[in-house]
Amino acid sequence: MSTLLDVRNLVTRFHTQDGVVKAVNGASFTVAKGETIAIVGESGCGKSVTSLSILRLIAQPQGKIVSGEALLDGTDLLKLSTEEMRKIRGARISMIFQEPMSSLNPVLTIGRQMTEQLELHRHMGQQEALAEAINLLKLVGIPQAERRVKDYPHHFSGGMRQRVMIAMAISCKPQLVIADEPTTAVDVTIQSQLLELIRGITDEMGMSLILITHNLGVVARYARRVYVMYAGTVVEHGPALSVYHHPLHPYTSGLLASVPRLDEPRKGRLAPIEGQPPDMMCPPVGCPFQPRCAYALPKCLTDRPELQEMAPGHFTACWVAFSGETLWQKT
Amino acid sequence: MTDTQQPNPSEMAEVTQARPHRTLLNDAWIRLRRNRLAVAGAIIILIFALGAIFAPLITKYNFAKQDLDSIFLQPSGVHWLGTDELGRDVFARMLYGARTSLAVGIFTQLIVLLIGLPIGAFAGSKGGRVDNLLMRFVDIMYGFPDILLIILLSAVLRGTVFGNMGGGIFVIFLAIGLVAWVNVSRLVRGQILSLKQRDFVTAARAMGGKGTYITMRHLLPNSLGPIIVSITFGVPRAIFTEAALSYIGIGVKPPTPSWGAMIHDGYNVMFTAPHLVIVPAVAIALIMLAFTFLGDGLRDALDPRSRR
Amino acid sequence: MAENVVIEINNLAKYFPITSGLFFKKKVAEVKAVDGVSFAIHRGETLGLVGESGCGKTTVGKCVLQLYRATSGEVIFEGKNLCDLNENQLRPLRRKLQVVFQDPYDSLNPRFTAADIIGEPLQINSDIRGSDFDRRIAELLDIVGLAPYMADRYPHEFSGGQRQRLGVARALALQPEFIVCDEPLSALDVSIQAQIINLLDDLQDKFGIAYLFISHDLSVVRHMSDRVGVMYLGKMMELSERDEIYKSPLHPYTQALLSAVPIPDPAVEEKRKVIVLKGEVPSPINPPSGCVFHPRCPKAFDDCSKLIPQLKDAGSGHEVACLLYKTSWP
Repeated sequence: MSTLLDVRNLVTRFHTQDGVVKAVNGASFTVAKGETIAIVGESGCGKSVTSLSILRLIAQPQGKIVSGEALLDGTDLLKLSTEEMRKIRGARISMIFQEPMSSLNPVLTIGRQMTEQLELHRHMGQQEALAEAINLLKLVGIPQAERRVKDYPHHFSGGMRQRVMIAMAISCKPQLVIADEPTTAVDVTIQSQLLELIRGITDEMGMSLILITHNLGVVARYARRVYVMYAGTVVEHGPALSVYHHPLHPYTSGLLASVPRLDEPRKGRLAPIEGQPPDMMCPPVGCPFQPRCAYALPKCLTDRPELQEMAPGHFTACWVAFSGETLWQKT
Repeated sequence: MTDTQQPNPSEMAEVTQARPHRTLLNDAWIRLRRNRLAVAGAIIILIFALGAIFAPLITKYNFAKQDLDSIFLQPSGVHWLGTDELGRDVFARMLYGARTSLAVGIFTQLIVLLIGLPIGAFAGSKGGRVDNLLMRFVDIMYGFPDILLIILLSAVLRGTVFGNMGGGIFVIFLAIGLVAWVNVSRLVRGQILSLKQRDFVTAARAMGGKGTYITMRHLLPNSLGPIIVSITFGVPRAIFTEAALSYIGIGVKPPTPSWGAMIHDGYNVMFTAPHLVIVPAVAIALIMLAFTFLGDGLRDALDPRSRR
Repeated sequence: MAENVVIEINNLAKYFPITSGLFFKKKVAEVKAVDGVSFAIHRGETLGLVGESGCGKTTVGKCVLQLYRATSGEVIFEGKNLCDLNENQLRPLRRKLQVVFQDPYDSLNPRFTAADIIGEPLQINSDIRGSDFDRRIAELLDIVGLAPYMADRYPHEFSGGQRQRLGVARALALQPEFIVCDEPLSALDVSIQAQIINLLDDLQDKFGIAYLFISHDLSVVRHMSDRVGVMYLGKMMELSERDEIYKSPLHPYTQALLSAVPIPDPAVEEKRKVIVLKGEVPSPINPPSGCVFHPRCPKAFDDCSKLIPQLKDAGSGHEVACLLYKTSWP
C-alpha cells in the first residue's frame, strides 16, 4: 500500500493569556491509500488539534503550527498558500466533526450547503449539483431525500445531522476523511448506525479514514492500525491486534485495564491510571507519562524516549519497554 | 480502600506545581491589571476623582465668582484654561464640574442597583406569574425612549421636595436612576434564570436549601460579575445624559457647574472663544472613554469562561 | 427481603406539559418523559438504569429526589410517600437522599471553596460548626482521596476527576442511605472514570449506601450494578439481576443495545455480529402505539403495534415487557 498522508514531527502551540499551551509536541503518523487508522487518546492529548493542524484550521492568531510536515501525496500541506489549501479542504481531505450543529450553517438549507461545495470543487451546474446532493443524501440513508434537501439543519435530529455531515464530507470524493469524535454526541444505537455507514462508504469508495476517538471499543471495531496519543505525542502505534493484546506502553496498558469490558467476567476492582494528565502549559520533562507511571526509571525523568519498532510494525516510546521489561503485559 | 484514602502524590503535585493558588477575584484582578486600556481608564477616572475631591486645594478660584474685567481670556499662566463670558475661571469650573458628573454617575447607579437588583432577583428567583407581571412592566418602561422619560420625570420631580436639593442635582439622580434600573433588573433576572438551571443550584435544593438561602448564597453572588460590568457601563451613560440635560437647560441649576451647561454657555461664542466648548467636551469624552475601557476590561477579567 | 428495601418506586409517571399562548398558557401537548415505572432498591444495593438519551432515566432520578414532582405514582421512603409531602415536610428527609451529578463543572458553585462545597449540606442541615466542622471537612476530603490542604481551593483549581470527588464528598457529608448517581462518569476521561468507579464501589462497601446508578454506558453499569433496568421512551423494558440481563437479555432492545457496544478487543470484534437498529428514537410527545419499541424492533409482529406489553416476571425474577414472552401479554 502506498502512503497517502505522512505527518512528521508536528508541533502546534496555543498562546493564551495564561501562557503557552504546548498542544502537540512532535506527533508523527502515516495513512496509506484506502486505509483506516485510529488516533486514540483522552481529552487534551492533542488528537483533535493534530487533525485541525493538518487542515490548517487552527484558531488564529492564538494557535500556531511551529514546525513539522504534513505530506499529502508528497506535497507539504503546511507550506501551501491559503488559496491552495482551500482547494484541498473538502476536495481531497474532508472532515466530520463531533458536533454537526456547529459545523452546519443554521440559516442555509442543507441543499444549498451541499450544492455550494459541489459547484465549487466539482464545477457542477446548479441543477446537476442539486441532483447529486439528493443522491448523496440517499446514500447516507436519509429518507425522502428529495424533500429533506430543502430543510434547514435544525429540522434534523442529531443522528440525521451527522448523516448530512457525512454526505457533505464525501461529496467531492476526497482521498482522505478525518472523523473527529464523530459519534461522541450520539447514543450507542445511533453510533453503530453512523460508524457502519462511514465504514461502508469509505470502503466502497476507497477512501482513507482517520478515526479520532477516545473510545477504545470503537477503535477495536473499526481500525486496522492505531496510534495512541498522550500529552501531545504518539506514545505507541501499531496493528490494532498487536497494540490491544500486547501493549508496550504503560499508558496503553493502563487505559485498557481501566475500562470494564462487557465480554469478560466482572472484576472486583478496576485498575485506574492514578493521577491526572499533565498541564500542557508545563508538561513534564523526560517522558510525558512519567509522573503517572508505576514503572518509571531514573532515565524517564530526564530523557524523552523516541518511537522505536519493538515488533513488526509496532512502535513505542518507552524506556522501560526498551529495556526489555514486559511486566505490565497482559498474559 | 487504601489507595482512595491516600491522596495520590502525583495528583497533589499537579495542583501545587502547575498553577499558584488563586481565588476567582484574585484571578480577575490579575487579568485586569494586565489589560493596559483598562488600567489607563482607571487612572483617568482616578485623576478626575482626585481633582473633583481636592478642587479647592488645586485651584484658588471660585467656580462661581464673576470677574467682568477679565472675560473671554485665553488660557494663560493666571487662568490655566482661560475664562468664560462672565470671567469665571474655566479650569475651576471644569474641576467642580467633575464633581457634578461623577456624583451623577455614582448616585444614579446606586439608585439603579437599589431598585433593579431586588426586582430582577425577585422576578428571576420566584418565576411564574410574579416574573411575568414584573417583566411586562419592565418591557413597557423599555419601550419608551429613555431621554423623553427622563425629561418628563425631571419636570415632575422639580415640583416636589427634591426640586431644590443640591442645586437640582437630586432631581437628575432620581430621574436617570428611575429610568435606568430596568437594564439591571433585566440583566439580573436573566442571570438568575440561567443560574437556576445549573446543577449546583439543584444540588442545594436536593440538600434542603430554602429559596432565600439559594438566592443569597448561590444566585446573587454568581451574577455579581455581569452586574459590576453593567454598572460600570451605566456610569458614563448617566454622565452623558446629565450633560445632555444640562445642555438643553433642564439639568443642574446655575451656578452649579456642569460640563453640559458649560458647552451650552460656550456654544454661542464657539468661534471666538473655542476653549469654552473644547474643555468640557474633552472632559466628557475622556471620562466616558475611561469608564468604557474599564468596563471592557472588567468584563474580560470577570468572565469565568476565559479561564478553566 | 422486603424490610431491606430503602426506596420503592411505584408506577411513577412524569408528563411535562407543552404550553402555548401569549397571556394564558394553554396546555397543547405532553411529553411523557416517564410513563409507569416501578422498582425497589435494597440496602447497600446498586440498581443500574440504562437507556439512550430521552428515555427518561434522568427524569426518574429527579422524581425520586423530588426535584421534579411526579405527575402520578409513589416514591416510598421510610414508610412515607414523598410525592404527598410538601417542601417543608420533605426537608428532614432530604438529608438521607443525595445526588451526584454528571457535569463536575456545572455542579460546583465556582465562588465556593472546596470546604464551602462539602460543608454546604452540614450548614443547611446540621449545627456542626467550628472545629468539628473543619474536622468533618478534612475527614470527607480524606474519604474521597483529596488532601486536607485543598479545602480552601476553588473548583477551577481542580481537575475534572478531582471535582467529581468533591461532588461525591458533598453527597456523603450527611451520611445518606441512598444516592442517585446521574451519569457521574460521562464527563470524565477514561482513565479517570475508573478512579471514580472504584471510589463509589469502596464507599458502598464501607457505608452500605444504596445507589441508583443512571448511565448510558452499558459496560460501566454492568460493573457497578447488582440489578439493571433498561428504559426506552419512558418505559421500563427489562429489569433483572445483572448477570442474568447481560448473559441472556430477553428484550430485543436490550439485545440490540448490548450488541451496539464495541468491545475493546479487535479479535473479539472481528467475530461479533452487530445488530444495527433501524431509525431513531421517536418523539415522546407522540409515542408509537402498542409497544413503544415496535417501529425499530427487528422481531416485531402484528400485535406489537396494538397491545401494550406488561413488565412481568418471565422466570426466576427476570422481568421483561415484550410480547415475545407469554407473561407480558396484557
